[in-house]
Amino acid sequence: MNPDQRAPRLDLRAVSKTFGGTRVLHDVSLDIAPGEVHALVGQNGSGKSTLIKILAGFHEADPGASALVDGRPRSLGDPDDIHDAGVRFVHQDLGLVPALSVVDNLALGHGYARGMGGRINWRRQTAAAEAALRAIGYEVDVRALVEDLQPVERTAVAIARALQSAQGEMSVLVLDEPTATMPKAEVQRLFEIINTVRQQGVGILYVSHHLEEVFELADRVTVLVDGHRVATKRCSELDQRGLVDLMTGGVVDEARQRSTTVPGEPLLALRGVRGAEIVELDLQVLAGEVVGVAGITGSGREELCSLIFGAKPREGRVTVRGRELPALRPHTACALGMALVPANRLRDGIVSGLNVRENANLTTVRRLARHVRIRPRDDRRQAASISTKMSVKAPSLESPIESLSGGNQQKVVLGKWLQTDPHVLLLDEPTQGVDIKAKAEIHHLIDDVASKGVAVLVCSSDEAELERLCDRVLVLRHGRVVSEFNGAEVQTRRLVHTSLGLTS
Amino acid sequence: MKRTIKERSVMTSPTDLPAVGTTVVDPPGVTDPGSGPRGRPAWSAGVLRLDRYSGLYLAVILAVVFSVLLPDTFGTLSNARVIAASSAIAGILTLAVAVSMAAGTFDISLAANMTFSICLLGTLLTSADLPWVLAVILTLLAGASIGAVNALIITRLGVEPIVATLGMSSVLAALSFWVADGQTILLDGVSPTFTEAGQATIATVPITVFYLAAVALVLWFLLEHTPLGRYIYAIGSNPQAAKLAGIKVLRLQSLSLMMTGALAALAGVVLTMQLGASAFGAGAPYLLPAFAATFLGATQILPGRFNVRGTIIALYLLAIAVKGLQLQFPDLPWIKDLVEGTVLIVAVSITARAIRQRRTR
Repeated sequence: MNPDQRAPRLDLRAVSKTFGGTRVLHDVSLDIAPGEVHALVGQNGSGKSTLIKILAGFHEADPGASALVDGRPRSLGDPDDIHDAGVRFVHQDLGLVPALSVVDNLALGHGYARGMGGRINWRRQTAAAEAALRAIGYEVDVRALVEDLQPVERTAVAIARALQSAQGEMSVLVLDEPTATMPKAEVQRLFEIINTVRQQGVGILYVSHHLEEVFELADRVTVLVDGHRVATKRCSELDQRGLVDLMTGGVVDEARQRSTTVPGEPLLALRGVRGAEIVELDLQVLAGEVVGVAGITGSGREELCSLIFGAKPREGRVTVRGRELPALRPHTACALGMALVPANRLRDGIVSGLNVRENANLTTVRRLARHVRIRPRDDRRQAASISTKMSVKAPSLESPIESLSGGNQQKVVLGKWLQTDPHVLLLDEPTQGVDIKAKAEIHHLIDDVASKGVAVLVCSSDEAELERLCDRVLVLRHGRVVSEFNGAEVQTRRLVHTSLGLTS
Repeated sequence: MKRTIKERSVMTSPTDLPAVGTTVVDPPGVTDPGSGPRGRPAWSAGVLRLDRYSGLYLAVILAVVFSVLLPDTFGTLSNARVIAASSAIAGILTLAVAVSMAAGTFDISLAANMTFSICLLGTLLTSADLPWVLAVILTLLAGASIGAVNALIITRLGVEPIVATLGMSSVLAALSFWVADGQTILLDGVSPTFTEAGQATIATVPITVFYLAAVALVLWFLLEHTPLGRYIYAIGSNPQAAKLAGIKVLRLQSLSLMMTGALAALAGVVLTMQLGASAFGAGAPYLLPAFAATFLGATQILPGRFNVRGTIIALYLLAIAVKGLQLQFPDLPWIKDLVEGTVLIVAVSITARAIRQRRTR
């Protein structure tokens, strides 16, 4: 069967999306032929997940977008319509109920087989569950609880459920990072399942940042960079290096401006630090130095800042300016002169009930009080000075913080910490979900801070950002440092290759 | 340069910027199209600020309407005194609710705490024969200690606040019975200054109103003008972000729960002074109106925030509405419960929606 001769299973046209003044998707179009595996790749923040969420009806697209499923127009932003059209999703978290059995999970959203008087006919239900899994070429003990299954078995259950709920009318299956937590051997089992599904003529949209999987599985690949579609190509026309170039090319907006400073004494030192993902880590950051940490999801990069600052339990020693910082004591970390700009801005960064002024002054409000009373003039004046320094754009200091765009919120969070004159600045994904202009401004501010003698640690999934900012970059894989790049060696492509475990 | 926060242009001033290389900064006065003031309907921004003071206007309107309808019963000075005095005790308990809600925690045992305090005070005054000032201080300390125990259960053992304090309510009911033997204690032999402290009037205004005013003033200052208050609101809005800003979340939540306990005890003390007897089980009827007024208060003055001024407006709005309806329909004894229950549900739904809208944006 030649996929190209029939109407595409899915045809998305001119999808754009704006969040609070920031355009995160620009006219993205994408089509999937029957039986095709179409990979969607891009760095974090490139708009992959936004596109999936628009397709799923989670977000509404900006006007002008359209979607055709099997040649029929469907309304984007309406989850029911897309569901009726036979588009199914297996999201990264799978959406299973861990404490229930496989049978129950398969019946959820599909309905139980009923017997006399409306009671559940368990025998028929169990048989149906087994059949659903066999249809994708997989066998699992359907009576087992989902929480006791292997990652690949859980994914299989999720796929079986998606297929089963669309018996006969399934047109598109969207798999969002299905292998994120899967060992290599299990990935092969998953591919067999996917191949079984594609042979039934279903179009598959496969989102992943494991590039070797893309080449093994996909027919075509679409690359997103900063919300723009930069290419849709047949995988046979590309090699891994070419794909990496597409993903990273043309985004390094400006050269590094900070002159090579002479780093000072060590301000932050980690010895034998260990967390949920990090196995063992030693690290020193000197005054005036910007050290980056790269690594894919699950490498330990995501938890490092939280471990150091005390937001997550850790073992091992952390010393700040020679003084030991115990685990799980964020207020002690602050007192020692440490600051953290967390990755999850909405959950950990901004305080959404407070306005811009209160957020900007949150860490320093004590200084604004004489005796116990906050002096309102100083309160306003300092907030105004922070927002000017950070070039925050806000309707007023009294506006709710959540009315600001992501970039401006991030500037407030950063400004709040810079006001404390920290000695050690931890930045976790400092420009995630931030538009290009604000990103450049934040980068300049970080340069500035480091040149004043602050020790800066940047954990980022955006390798170009690390190249732009850092004097030195450590690459984590499976919770350990696998490589260290210094000065001119810090190059986006080398970081990406080493993070993915490719030989460069 | 003097800055006024209403100026739209002050936020971007290129001259004060650090050297940012090639970055282009918008000229003053230009803001993102998406960052304008959103989410406020136009009608609310007028001079009346209906988004903030609707309760106040409604209270005034209701007072006028009932005074016209019922000039002999509602529209009298003595009725105004009754409303003011009876609301004072409810008001202290309402502020007790608000102070823990502001910190994002919850204490449903405060009515039981009030009941217990009344029994404890009565016993200390009669059986133990303590001087009343000492007895009052011990009662307030006991109330604060109950708050501290709640805090320990919630923050150290990780029990949900509603479950922890529901359990505590039952424990306190048992303790109350044990302390007072399930009886109302008459305070005949107690110094007359004790009841004087609850029944006197200052310039014809009942003294209890001044107690409420004092509590309100202290809490208002604490919550809106001190770093502590700023921290409490930060915790109430987003405890995770507050913790990562170096705020000691559990400690301040514990402090709030202790204040709640002490204020609940104070409500019991004032009620005992006013009645001249320690009435058994007198706290329970105050529970629901206190929560109703607290949630209604969060829709006023500083919408979405449990604040003192809004709570006071809500308190009197509720008191006027209930009293007016009771006098208008004397044969409907259930009208108070109906009004308070409805107000609780409606106010919570409004507050919850405001908070949800904020979160999902």
